[in-house]
Amino acid sequence: MITGNYKTRYQDDESIWNNWAKRWGFALSIVFLVVFPFVADNYMLLLAGQIAIFIIAVAGLNVLVGYTGLMSLGHGAFFAIGAYTAVAIHHEWPGTFPLITLVVSILVAAAFGVLFGLPALRVKGLYLAVATLSANFIVLFFIREHWFEEWTGGVRGTETPNAVFFGVELVSQQAKYFMIAPIMVIMLLFAQNLFRTRFGRALIAIRDKDYSAEIMGISLYSYKLKSFAISAGYCGAAGCLWAYFFPAILPEDFGLNMSITLLVCLVAGGMGRTLGPIFGTMLILLVPEMLKVIVSMVTDGDAMAQRYFSPMRDIVFGLMIIGFLIFEPMGLVNIWDRFWRFLSRWPFAK
Amino acid sequence: MGQFIQYLINGLISGSILALIAIGIVAVFKSTKVVNFAHGHLIMFGAYFYFTFAVMLPEAAFMPSWVAKWEPQWLLDYRGDAMMFSKEAAIATWVSNLPRILLGLVGALAANAVLALLIERLVMRPLLGQSIFAMILSTVGLIWVLEGAAGLIWTAEAEQVPTLGPNFPIRFELFGTNLFLFSASLVNFVIALLLFAGLMLVLRYTRSGIAIRATAEDQSTAYGMGINVPRVFSTAWLIASMTGAIAGAILASRTGLSPAMGLFGLSVLAVVLMGGLDSFLGVLIASMLIGVLEAMAQWKLGGSVAEIVPYVAVLVVILIRPHGFLGQKEIERI
Amino acid sequence: MLTVKDAELSFGGIKALDQVSFEARSGEITAIIGPNGAGKTSLFNIISGFYRPQRGQILFDNTDITRMRADKRANLGIARTFQNLALFRGMTVLDNIKLGGHIRLRSGFWTSGWFYGSAQREELALRAQIERDVIDFLELDHIRNAPVAILPYGLQKRVELGRALAMQPNVLLLDEPVAGMNREETEDMARFILDIQERWGTTILLVEHDMGMVMDLANQVVVLNFGRQIASGSADSVQHNPAVIEAYLGTKATQEASLQAS
Repeated sequence: MITGNYKTRYQDDESIWNNWAKRWGFALSIVFLVVFPFVADNYMLLLAGQIAIFIIAVAGLNVLVGYTGLMSLGHGAFFAIGAYTAVAIHHEWPGTFPLITLVVSILVAAAFGVLFGLPALRVKGLYLAVATLSANFIVLFFIREHWFEEWTGGVRGTETPNAVFFGVELVSQQAKYFMIAPIMVIMLLFAQNLFRTRFGRALIAIRDKDYSAEIMGISLYSYKLKSFAISAGYCGAAGCLWAYFFPAILPEDFGLNMSITLLVCLVAGGMGRTLGPIFGTMLILLVPEMLKVIVSMVTDGDAMAQRYFSPMRDIVFGLMIIGFLIFEPMGLVNIWDRFWRFLSRWPFAK
Repeated sequence: MGQFIQYLINGLISGSILALIAIGIVAVFKSTKVVNFAHGHLIMFGAYFYFTFAVMLPEAAFMPSWVAKWEPQWLLDYRGDAMMFSKEAAIATWVSNLPRILLGLVGALAANAVLALLIERLVMRPLLGQSIFAMILSTVGLIWVLEGAAGLIWTAEAEQVPTLGPNFPIRFELFGTNLFLFSASLVNFVIALLLFAGLMLVLRYTRSGIAIRATAEDQSTAYGMGINVPRVFSTAWLIASMTGAIAGAILASRTGLSPAMGLFGLSVLAVVLMGGLDSFLGVLIASMLIGVLEAMAQWKLGGSVAEIVPYVAVLVVILIRPHGFLGQKEIERI
Repeated sequence: MLTVKDAELSFGGIKALDQVSFEARSGEITAIIGPNGAGKTSLFNIISGFYRPQRGQILFDNTDITRMRADKRANLGIARTFQNLALFRGMTVLDNIKLGGHIRLRSGFWTSGWFYGSAQREELALRAQIERDVIDFLELDHIRNAPVAILPYGLQKRVELGRALAMQPNVLLLDEPVAGMNREETEDMARFILDIQERWGTTILLVEHDMGMVMDLANQVVVLNFGRQIASGSADSVQHNPAVIEAYLGTKATQEASLQAS
């Protein structure tokens, strides 16, 4: 039970883990992340890697949508830019040190983020949604066309390299997991830090009341663009890891579906919260797996039934978005909060 | 020059269809302030319903045979005289198809109306008063529900659907060049523009039109003035679904059926933003412009470039005129 | 300190401000009054940079800031509260007030993201300063961790004042600080305003409808009507100015007033 507030220094009050539950929660998650690859099979590791990569991207989207309050339906494009940048780097300079590739992917994606962010200086809400959506289509168009085929492989897609650390090639899922998980943790902590200090507060201020933020001396132009750059950079990192994680990529992987999936993860998890992307992504990526299990149980692995799987998954996804918006617009994090509030007050109140 | 005019005509025809689709988005936005990202999927359902009622149902065993193929004696006589592939033959085919075309249209209109009312009741109304973000996302969610549902319901390979008008080539000469278009396209063009103009007049001059416009201005005041706002919402969705059903039928006869048709709606959304969300006239202009630009891109640069024309155009327009050609600028009060 | 010279602002054909000129003297409280729609908030908006006046100048310490961007004016030390609350509703009281410190902090993206080191030192210093100068001063300590959205109106107004105060402003613009408050809350607010003036010597501009408060607090009163400045001077002189009486009470009243005077 978390009772009163007995802190004697501002430093304690301002720290991320300002109570024991959070401290232990964090420690346990790290332990889980370390132990998991040794107990999981390949299929679970595949899922875990995918989830971790998505968490990074959704955390990036959270910076823009959740914290800055700017809408984007085009973050699949940044994902794509990150992935294809990684491929292009390895195509030009095979065996580049993976962290360098990662940084370059982030920078390239962030640069595109600034470019995409330009409409945000003039429009908000819906107009921005359509502008980013358009940008997504345009980026995919360029990836598909023959002009950059040498790096992108055009419509047919391209094979992707494996990461090589000091002569050790990361081939197995387990090895790749050990590259992805730490990067995810670091990037999440970075985002968390960002939003308890000056920089992040400014972004939240823009979300809550833009003209009021301006009065506080926050330049809307520069912060909106920076927000776009950061969130694009996160997606770029995710894209780069995606390229390392999977053997091949296709332009279709990063289309509207990807952009919307990212948004759905964010909404399901809870916008503007650090834990939101984690919860949301786990839910959204695990539901199809559960659905697969259910479908195969009901139909005994009937081949005909498999046909229905993909449309059914779409319907479940769509219903989940709508359901969350109607019944739990604050996302899973809100349920989580309620649970903890309940525990901390337990015998006395609900 | 001749080529240019040919593509201009093609562009105007597809522009008119864009406008017909756009009207649904504008009508819903004007009254409910919801921008329907799933409008394309509503149209896809319209197309599939048309296919169901105009192709699948007439071929069913329990239907009388004249529904699928109406062949009274006089029609047979008329066709007997006509040459193959001639204008008369095309008209004769159309007349014999007429029962199922009408059945298809009526069925599609009714089914789409029911669908729209369901969506409005079950999804949009609970979200009333929520943020723009929630509204956008819920229609995005609808995209997936509708796409999945279509995939579950219509598993059969889609076939050709009958065109709304008789289909024969028209050749004519203009400025010394030979031009060519299909009569069915011309019929589509006329239907689309008539519907567009008709709806504009309805909105401007009828009681329910004024109710819709009042609701667009201010929902709560309209409520206070005794306007049945929920009914206005339903009306708007009905308009959207029914124009969507006709647009779907037209699209199905032009380009065939596929679950991917819905994505077309997103490009129309771009067109709508270009014209200005709350302006019918602006949307008409934008539709025609995009139709022509797409046709020109098709001609000079190829099909894949034509596909992204609306998206590039909307980006440019938003950067220069954030509220589209004729959209109303919202003034923020501090 | 802050001078407005011949400011003119129009929207389409409507003149919101027409030849408004006054000087808010350093360390004094200048009240701007006028009937509804007189252009008081428009005047604040050109001072804080949301609108650009079509003609005229705004001088801050003799530098022309007429064309300066709104966010740059914050760096000069111009702070403001809004008529309709403009708090950051998703944040706690503490975070709202911390935003007032935005211009004084230096940490950027990298230092913020890394946190430990300079960003942490800066944040803790800010926290200590805010606790002392704002939270204790405005008696907000019991609600510092509450989300602002759940606070009653009067407290929200006070938080907004606190946020402006955290900017350590040279000039503080208060747009109807006691609108909609009861007598007790109004008295509290008046006391805070006087305390601010006394403690930091802040130049204060005040838009207010509560005449009692205006007459008690203001060193100088500027009266606007339909965008025109019809009077300015001490509270007393303005009170007896016929143009002001006319604007507030109509012509009949003016005649009566002049009859009484004669």
